[in-house]
Amino acid sequence: MPLWFARGLRRGIVTAHYPARPDDSSASLPTPPAFRPAALNRQVAGRLCAACPNGALRRENDVLIFDVGACTACGRCADAAPEAVVPSGQFELATTARSALIKRIPLAGEAAGE
Amino acid sequence: MTLNGKEVPADGPGPASSAEDGLTPASGTGEVARELRQRIAGQFGRSLHIRTLDTGSCAVCEQEIRLLAAPHYDLHRLGFFFTPAPRHADLLLVTGPMIRAMDVAVHKTYQAMPGPKVVVATGACALGGIYPQDPFVHGDAGKVLPVDVWIPGCPPSPLALLHGLLVAVGRLAEKTPGLTFLADGEAR
Repeated sequence: MPLWFARGLRRGIVTAHYPARPDDSSASLPTPPAFRPAALNRQVAGRLCAACPNGALRRENDVLIFDVGACTACGRCADAAPEAVVPSGQFELATTARSALIKRIPLAGEAAGE
Repeated sequence: MTLNGKEVPADGPGPASSAEDGLTPASGTGEVARELRQRIAGQFGRSLHIRTLDTGSCAVCEQEIRLLAAPHYDLHRLGFFFTPAPRHADLLLVTGPMIRAMDVAVHKTYQAMPGPKVVVATGACALGGIYPQDPFVHGDAGKVLPVDVWIPGCPPSPLALLHGLLVAVGRLAEKTPGLTFLADGEAR
């Protein structure tokens, strides 16, 4: 009886176990993009920057500056260049320094255009 | 006046950083953050009261925050509670782009909270992502309040909010500085 009760309680709990272990729903969350530097050049980067509605992406020479704090995970960059952008799967992005959210993505692909 | 180990002007909340753009933290932030975490862990233990402050958000952040109290996420199991009064609150959860019409309310709310207090900017609006140039808003919570923790997302999911709250009280480590957002070399 006590065992049954304990098991029932255990299985009856619907509460997420986060942060002890990942929640099932976390896999289906919209997440900021991750980039493939090998597929990125200035042309693709220009397309990504133009597709971003929030200015979260901008290019400085051969570096793509990605402001994760401005990203809304809308997925328009992934639509604009599916070969270069995939969902990152990262949702635990809270930080004590705003500057930690600004990422530099090198453009390592073959030069095209320009 | 010093709050949370930071210098704050005596007449009201000041910007968190000395930088003009509000994106670059003042020097020594890492040390301040560590000290803050230790102080909060010592003083708040496992009970922390949250006041939410909507400064012109579209209310989707509020929907996600409200979900935190639902049985599935149940933030009470982690010792967090929502309070209706800023005078009872330890943590200010700010959403929205800091619309200028809320200046007085933001000021009064921050002043009413007893110290030590933590300010958490929630969502892309409060992080300066959506309205960086709009004349009706400050566009960035860091320009008005001394923000301690930034939670990105539009909206941040309840799990992301839980992570942010646990980072704010020093019970989880932040992962962001180690993330590169490069896809190569990862199995997908």
